[in-house]
Amino acid sequence: MKSITMSQRRRRETAIAATVFLAPALLVIAIFVLYPIVQSFVTSGYEWNGYSSNKVFIGLGNWVELMKDKTFWYAFRNNLVVMVLSIVIQMPIGLALATFLDRVGKKGNICKVIWFIPMLMSSVAIGYLFRYALDANTGFVSAISQLFGGGKVDLLGNPDTVLYTVIIIIAWQFIPFYMVYYMAGYSSLPMDIHEAALVDGATESQYFWRISLPLLKPSIKSAIVLSMVGSLKYFDLVYVMTSGGPSHASELMATYMYTNAFSSYRMGYASAIAAGMFILISVIAIVTMRLLNRKED
Amino acid sequence: MERRTISRFLKRTAACTLALAMLLLAGCAGNTGNSGGDGDSSGKTKLTLWHIQTGTAADIIKDAAARFNADHPEYEVEVVDKVNDTYKSDLSMAINANTMPDIFITWGGQTMYDYVDEGLLYDLTDLMNADGYADTFVDAGIAQCSYNGRIYSVPVENISVAGIFYNKDVFDQYGLEEPSTIAELEALCDTLVANGVAPFALANATQWTGSMYFQYLATRYGGLEPFADAAAGTGTFENDAFVYAGEKIQEWVEKGYFCEGFNGMDDDAGQARMLFYSGDAAMDLMGSWFVGTIAGENQQFLDDGKLGFFPFPTLETSDADPSLCLGTIGDNLYAVSASSKAPEAAFEMIQYLLDDEAQVERKAQSKIIPLKNFTSDDPVITEILDAVNGAAGIQLWYDQYLPAEVAEVHKQTSQEIFGLTMSPEEANAQLQAAMESYLAKNS
Repeated sequence: MKSITMSQRRRRETAIAATVFLAPALLVIAIFVLYPIVQSFVTSGYEWNGYSSNKVFIGLGNWVELMKDKTFWYAFRNNLVVMVLSIVIQMPIGLALATFLDRVGKKGNICKVIWFIPMLMSSVAIGYLFRYALDANTGFVSAISQLFGGGKVDLLGNPDTVLYTVIIIIAWQFIPFYMVYYMAGYSSLPMDIHEAALVDGATESQYFWRISLPLLKPSIKSAIVLSMVGSLKYFDLVYVMTSGGPSHASELMATYMYTNAFSSYRMGYASAIAAGMFILISVIAIVTMRLLNRKED
Repeated sequence: MERRTISRFLKRTAACTLALAMLLLAGCAGNTGNSGGDGDSSGKTKLTLWHIQTGTAADIIKDAAARFNADHPEYEVEVVDKVNDTYKSDLSMAINANTMPDIFITWGGQTMYDYVDEGLLYDLTDLMNADGYADTFVDAGIAQCSYNGRIYSVPVENISVAGIFYNKDVFDQYGLEEPSTIAELEALCDTLVANGVAPFALANATQWTGSMYFQYLATRYGGLEPFADAAAGTGTFENDAFVYAGEKIQEWVEKGYFCEGFNGMDDDAGQARMLFYSGDAAMDLMGSWFVGTIAGENQQFLDDGKLGFFPFPTLETSDADPSLCLGTIGDNLYAVSASSKAPEAAFEMIQYLLDDEAQVERKAQSKIIPLKNFTSDDPVITEILDAVNGAAGIQLWYDQYLPAEVAEVHKQTSQEIFGLTMSPEEANAQLQAAMESYLAKNS
C-alpha cells in the first residue's frame, strides 16, 4: 500500500474518535430504547399477566382486539385533541412571553423567574394542586361561580369538560418551557439585524412579523414537533388528576396502556397498545417533519 | 441587550451527562432464590414466612417468630418482608420455581381457591379444629378462609368491613336517627337534600369507593350467591341483584344523594373527607380503617365525639340475610404451603402471631383482631365489632375476589353507572362479558 496521505489519516482518526465517543451513547440507547421497543412488539403476541410462567402465544390476537377496541381509538382521538390544542394554546403564548422578555431585557427578569415556576414543579404536585383548586365543592372556580350567584362547577367529574380542563393545566405547565425555548431562539438572532431594521425605519411590530418571526422559524418548527410527540405520549398529569376517567372521558393512549398493564395485569395487551402508540406516533411525527421541511424549500 | 449562547452550554452538559450515565451502567447483581423447608448445617429445620406488613406492624411478626424460635430450638423461622405491590408476582414466581415459602399470606377469594385447586395449600382443617381453636375466631373470618368446607388459612391481621360513618352534629341538627332499612335511609337522605346538605361524601375518581355501594346493594338484594355464582361462571352479572344495585345508584344520583362532582374527586387526596369533616356532607360509606384515617388527620373530630357508625341498612322486601357484611375478616390470611417440610410446626408459628403477647401488641396498634373475645374501648370500633360478630357471612370486596382484569372492568363500569354514562344493563353485560372472557382463557 501507498503511504497514507494526511487527509486519509485525519479521516481515519476522526472515524475512530467518533466511534469511541458514540459507542457509550449507542449502548445506552440500545439497552434502554431499542431493546424495550422490540420487546414490546414481541410481548404483544402473548396473552400474559406480566408475572406468571403461563405465557400463551396468541399471534395477532391482541392486535385484532386493539383494532376493534373503541376505548383505544377514543383515547387516540383524545391524544389528537390534546396535540392540536397544545400547539394552538402553548405556541403563541410561549412566543408572546419570550418576545416580551426579549424586548424588555433585564427589567423583565422578575417576570421571567415567576413565569418559569410551573416548569420547576413536578407533575404530581401540579396534579394535586389543581385537584384541590378545581374541587367542585371547595375549589376556587366553584367559589367564584357561587359568589356571582351561580351553582357549583364540576370540571373534573364531568365527562364533557374534563379533557379541556386538563389541557389548560397542561398548557399552564408547558408554556414556560416554550417560553425559554423561544428565548434561546431569540438569543441566537444577531443584534445588528434589529438595529439595522430600526435604522431603516421599521416599527417594532414590523420587525417582529417580517424579521424575527421568519428567523425563528426553525425554532418554531422543532417546538411544534416536540409538542406533538409530547402530547401523543402524554401521561403523568392526566394519570395523577383523572386516571383517564370519568368514563374514559380523559383517557389517553398512555393511561390506557398503564391501566391494562398494572391494574388489569394484561401485559400482552398493554404491550400491543404501547407498540401501537409507537407506530402511530412515529407516522405522525415523520409526516409532520416532512411537511414542515417541504414548506421551507 | 443581553444575549447568551445557550447551545454551547447545552453541549457540554450533554457530554457530562453521558459520562455519568455510563458509570451508572456498572454491574448487575445476581440473586439466588431461597428454598424454604431445607434443613441447614445445625440440624434445624428452616421455615420461611412471607408477610407484607410494614413498620411497627412488621415488628409484631418478628417478635412472634423470635418467641417461636426460642420455644422450638429444632426449628428456625425466617421472616421475609415482602412489598405489597409486587407480592403477587413474587409468589407466582416462587410457585413456578417450586420454592414456595412455608407460611405466606393470601387475600382469599378466587386466588386462594385457585391455589387449593392446584394443590398448593396444606389443609388446616384438623389443626384448626383441634382444641376448638377455630371457634375462637369470628365465624365470618373462618368462612372466608374456607373452601368446599375445608379450612386453608388463618385470619390474622385486621377486620376491615364497610359501613356507613356519619357526622353526629349533622344528624343532631336535623333530628335524624340511624336508619335500619333502605327506605328509612332514603327518607333521611331526602331530609338532608331538602336542607342543602349532601347526604353522602363520595370521591369516586378512586372507583372502589363508589363500587362499595354497588356491592352492598347487590348483597342486600340477593345475598352472597349471585356474586359467588357469577364469579364462578355458574351464574351471571346480569342477575336481578346487580340490576337492582345499578338502578338504585342511578336513582340516588338523580336525587342528589351524593356530593357535587364526586366522579372527579380523589379519595386518596381526602376530597370526600373534607366535606365530611365540615358537615357539608353527612355520611360516608367506607371501610373500618376510616377510624384510623380520621385519627391520623383529624383527631379533634373523634375527641369531640362527632363520629357515628351504623351498618349498611337492610332491604325490607328481600329475604337475603340482612346481617351480611362487606369487607374482609383478617385482611391477610396466613396459609401453609403443601410443600412445607413441617406443616404442623408452620401452623404453630401462625398461632404465635395471635398469642397473648401478639394480641397486646396488635391492640396497641389499633388493629381489630378477628377473634371473638376481642373488645375495644372505642365506641365506634365496638359498633363495628357488633356488626361483624352478628354477621352470618362476609362478602369479600369484589376487587379482591375477582381476577384483576375483571375487577378493573367492575370498577370502571360502576363509575360509569354513577356518572349516568351507562345503564345498569349495559354495565352488567360488559362485566359479564369480561368474566366470560377470563373464564374462557383460564379453563
